[in-house]
Amino acid sequence: MPDPLLSARSISRKFGYRVVLEDVSFDVRAGEALVVRGANGSGKTTLLRILAGLLRPTTGTVLRAGGLGYLAHHSMLYDALTARENLRFVARLHGLAPAGTSDSLIERLGLDGRADDPVSTYSRGMIQRLALARALLIDPQVLLLDEPLSHLDEPGSRVVLEILGEQRRRGRALVVVSHQRAELETLGAASIALANGRLVSGAAADPYG
Amino acid sequence: MADHLRLAALIAAKDLAVEWRSKTALVSIVAFAVLVSAILYFARDPTAVSALDTAPGALWVTYSFSAMIALNRAFQLEQENHAMDGLLLSPIPRSAIFVGKTLANLALVGAVEAIALPLFLLFYDVPVWHRLPALSLVVVMATVAMVAVGTLFSSMVIRTRFAEFMLPLLLLPFLVPPVISGVELTATILADRPLSAAGGWLKLLAAFDLTFVSLSALLFESSLEQ
Repeated sequence: MPDPLLSARSISRKFGYRVVLEDVSFDVRAGEALVVRGANGSGKTTLLRILAGLLRPTTGTVLRAGGLGYLAHHSMLYDALTARENLRFVARLHGLAPAGTSDSLIERLGLDGRADDPVSTYSRGMIQRLALARALLIDPQVLLLDEPLSHLDEPGSRVVLEILGEQRRRGRALVVVSHQRAELETLGAASIALANGRLVSGAAADPYG
Repeated sequence: MADHLRLAALIAAKDLAVEWRSKTALVSIVAFAVLVSAILYFARDPTAVSALDTAPGALWVTYSFSAMIALNRAFQLEQENHAMDGLLLSPIPRSAIFVGKTLANLALVGAVEAIALPLFLLFYDVPVWHRLPALSLVVVMATVAMVAVGTLFSSMVIRTRFAEFMLPLLLLPFLVPPVISGVELTATILADRPLSAAGGWLKLLAAFDLTFVSLSALLFESSLEQ
């Protein structure tokens, strides 16, 4: 069995006295996708932020191989800049050629007609597509995706699911936080569930009944 | 080092592009500087206090308060859409973020100071044109100290609930040394005396520059920890 691209080992996180995550462990290998389910406030976003390295776990470790792409709840985009400027800025930060991948992602995600408009003029769905382009820009080995289908219409969701399927086939490791189970079934992903910060199984793993 | 500077310049250019597109910060800070200058001018009794006596203080009150507004803005644009997370996820040294932010703040505060200076000369009618290089040197030195420490505090308070109130509370005590040095040196320049006559203040200002810039750069990374 190949080594995992992403490994969470006994992750716990407290904010003050409040325990948000407790003893969460899992591995994700190349070509695997893992869906993290759970009710609001169960610790999913905190888990993703810890996996991304934006938040330190109180205890436990995260091991990650290769680059990271993170689609967060917030877009991490600059509203005053255009889509093209946003992606080229990120490319330059990573030492990549500013054009090339940026332009092809803009086209792939159907934003080429508005690529030179400020992000402030975009709809929520367009912002979501651009935020995904931002996450894919560096061709990361590991993709962390917080509700990747939110705000998307049907064609938009289809394109995003196609892209995620391709990423998986190319040997990328995906961790997806989502409430849209039916759509994500096409990914053929394994799933885990969080309840009050703990991994749960059985009936407790389905907070929606 | 060259790559570090390239990344800092990239961040500074992005910040200035964002500010230039909206112009919100520049317009409001310039308007604030004009209002403060006008209030201080009309609050003075010209029969009791000469313009030369009040001008240095008025200039530095205007500059430091305007800088505070600009610095409040420094990390707000990273807070919108959590863009700061994007910077932190990129493989760049944290010190490049600090240098980039400081450069952008220096450009913004410097632009406001350059716009406010002619207004100050108009109000106070002080003979300063032939001493402009000396005055510019003092303004640049004091501004570097104010902006370096202000950039650090701005990054610290941005995630607090009352960031707009917290920044002046934290920053003002640290602005006192460069502002007092600036006032003393400006008074020397306006009195048409050589800067060497206030050499002690100049050395003190240089020491504050060195201390504030190096300490702020060192502490910046820990201000980003979550």
